[in-house]
Amino acid sequence: MSRAAAPEFTKRRIRNLTITLASTVLLLTVFYSQNQSLGHASFTSGYLLYGTLLFLTLLNLRKRLSFLPAIGSAKFWMQVHIYVGLATFAIFASHVGWRIPNGKLEVFLAALYLIVAFSGVYGLYATRVYPKRLTRIGTEVIFERIPQLRNQLALHARQLVIETCESSDVLAKFYTSRLCYFFEQQPALAYLVHPSSRTRKKLIHEMEDLDRYLGTDQRQVREKLTQMVHQKDDLDYHQALQGRLKIWLFVHIGLTYSLLLVGLLHGILAHAFSGGPS
Amino acid sequence: MDATTLNTNPQMRRPMRWDQPLDPNMSDSTVEQLMRTDPFAQMDPDSFRAQTPLRGILKNDCQIHHLQQGDIIVREGDYGGSAFFILEGKARVSLKQLPPEILGRQTPRKQGWLEAFVQGFRNSKHPEVRDYSRKTQTSTEFNQRQEGSTTRVFLQDIPRVIPLNQSVSLVAGELFGEISALTRTPRSATVVADSEIKLLEIRWQGIREFMKQNEVMRDHITDLYRENSLRSHLREMELLNHVSADAMDRLVQTTGFESFGKFQWNQKFESTLKKDIAERILSEPVIAEQGTYVNGIILIRNGFARISRNHGQGHQTIGYASKGKMFGLRELAHTWKTGQPTPWLLSLRAVGYVDILRIPAREVEDLILPSLPESKMPPPIANPNLSGEKRRHARPKSMDRGLMEFLVERRLINGTKAMMIDLDRCTRCDDCVRACASTHNNNPRFNRQGPIHDHWMISQACMHCLDPVCMIGCPTGAIARDPESGNVSINDTTCIGCSTCANSCPYNNIQMVSINNPQGQPIHDTDTGQPIVKATKCDFCESHAGGPACQRACPHDALVRIDLSTPQSVTQWSQR
Repeated sequence: MSRAAAPEFTKRRIRNLTITLASTVLLLTVFYSQNQSLGHASFTSGYLLYGTLLFLTLLNLRKRLSFLPAIGSAKFWMQVHIYVGLATFAIFASHVGWRIPNGKLEVFLAALYLIVAFSGVYGLYATRVYPKRLTRIGTEVIFERIPQLRNQLALHARQLVIETCESSDVLAKFYTSRLCYFFEQQPALAYLVHPSSRTRKKLIHEMEDLDRYLGTDQRQVREKLTQMVHQKDDLDYHQALQGRLKIWLFVHIGLTYSLLLVGLLHGILAHAFSGGPS
Repeated sequence: MDATTLNTNPQMRRPMRWDQPLDPNMSDSTVEQLMRTDPFAQMDPDSFRAQTPLRGILKNDCQIHHLQQGDIIVREGDYGGSAFFILEGKARVSLKQLPPEILGRQTPRKQGWLEAFVQGFRNSKHPEVRDYSRKTQTSTEFNQRQEGSTTRVFLQDIPRVIPLNQSVSLVAGELFGEISALTRTPRSATVVADSEIKLLEIRWQGIREFMKQNEVMRDHITDLYRENSLRSHLREMELLNHVSADAMDRLVQTTGFESFGKFQWNQKFESTLKKDIAERILSEPVIAEQGTYVNGIILIRNGFARISRNHGQGHQTIGYASKGKMFGLRELAHTWKTGQPTPWLLSLRAVGYVDILRIPAREVEDLILPSLPESKMPPPIANPNLSGEKRRHARPKSMDRGLMEFLVERRLINGTKAMMIDLDRCTRCDDCVRACASTHNNNPRFNRQGPIHDHWMISQACMHCLDPVCMIGCPTGAIARDPESGNVSINDTTCIGCSTCANSCPYNNIQMVSINNPQGQPIHDTDTGQPIVKATKCDFCESHAGGPACQRACPHDALVRIDLSTPQSVTQWSQR
């Protein structure tokens, strides 16, 4: 189906980017002028960065308080989260003086920030790209039901093969040696990291090669099994992509709390040593 | 289909109209008794068609009810497909609107911020918990009694609830509820048994036969309809704003009223879906056929129609029309202006059940078009033979054809608040489901699953339909539509768990659930020991000030509650 342009989304993107860029330039100008007038711009940018990070956690709070009226839509909060999050890159760079920080705590803190920030960027990419890939599969699966569906499929496949055992053992042997593991096991870690259709294609090719040894009835069973291999592969693909969409969020949120704690410690230390040696 | 089935020659008797009588216990002696009672005694049995004889109608399309004083016969706002004829006793029609609690309904009440906050943290950890020790919204006047397998709702203090000066009495020999049954519109008043009463319920198919064969009944119903309903419908039409009072009188007298399709379309919906699409379109009753003579303007009163055009050997859906939409003005205006007869440019077919008004072409040309301002005139029909001709009127944005076919085929165009999900944006995070659960005591009221076309999913959430077939037959009136918001909601207290609504919903959007007490233990019926079940569905968060939680909770702008009955809203959202 041809996809029409998205004027509403484009307009929204242009508007939000303009506001973000303008605000960022304004902030950087303030920091620069503060530095020029011998002020402590690092404190200003530090407080602002920490406050911004706290503000960004409000999206998660908004999601947990969905039962409350008049707290704004999650859509609005997400847009604010994305663009404020992008602006923190500039605030962070200004805060560390546009260089790699020195000091072990500072390096650790900077690394934490960068992991959280870049996991956010990855999340933005993943949430825009993976849904389309999932949709292209054509079947819709609820993540929590995948193990149950996999078990059903494995059971059904085993029953189908058992029914053919009386006339010939070709399918049964192939099932035991090649298909049993595929149907009954979770996808391998390598597949979850980089899902591909290689295993599916290989299995289907091998199954089609069996046709010359099969009777008409058994060929029908083989065709059904081929369809089930497709279904199992779709389930694995859903698990891999939906899993990624959940894991990145887990990492992003989990590390944010660490970032806030280490950031707080950094702030306390910065204040404690702000006067310099007496 | 397996091989065994292929090799056999499956046969069955062709289903007949009266395979499922309204009351299987209706005996021949009761029919004979009715035949001796007016108005049936006045009817000539020979005037009825051989396929639908008078005795057959009485036996198959009718049912006798014996009600006690105070029993509610019909409730204002309910939908129903039957009229009632009083055989003995009397009934009272309330001229005032009765409080919803008396009728077993729920009054929507918006929660405050603090109340929502407290409730959000007090959600039960057990599913489907009901606490009947708390105060419920049922009025003291709301009472139920069991009569065989049916539940009757009755009023105890009729004179207080329905004062004499605010009611009309109906006596033996009078018919009521026929307009609502024939036009599939909500009942306009509540009627209560004012004494012990013997009623004859006649389903709409029967009334239609009586109208066809009996002049007195036909005139009576037609006059009632023309005076009470038709005039106001015509007045509401913008097109008729400029016609004179005399012209309006003539229009009221000449406008025809027609019905197409099956009243209870939902019953065969699943099997209809299995048919080939071309066959399905051809089986839809034709209201207007492309290329034939335009005999008037068609105004859709109820239901949905498919707008299609001939394409190759088949029919291509290019739009759909629901209540209030008009068809045929463009052709008639063109004919009137140019003098060249213009046939129907497109076809109109009934999807499910459709009621239409047809204003005859002559009246349109004599009364409507001369008084219509030029600004209200439809755009001229471009000559298809002039290929290079530029269109003076820009075409409005149109919906993707595939999406349109999908919505029409599955009758999703019935939904006014359907949940539409853009799967290309949905991250399957289930924030919508969690938000729904958190606003409904930890019970999600929809399934994030449903029919899919391309990257659009219509999720299994109540669509608050234009034609709410779920509301037909609720014995206690627990399921009702809010007249202001249009939301269809279920009063949990008065729902008796009969599953009528769940079975009627063609989209499987109503779930029957077993309920538990606050400790999570299943609640059982004291008499039978069976679990108590209740009908549950999306209530569009009507008690929440912020609107539907699902839509507000979607961070990716992937979910919307949308009116599928208007193509414009779908087009606008799908082409963002």
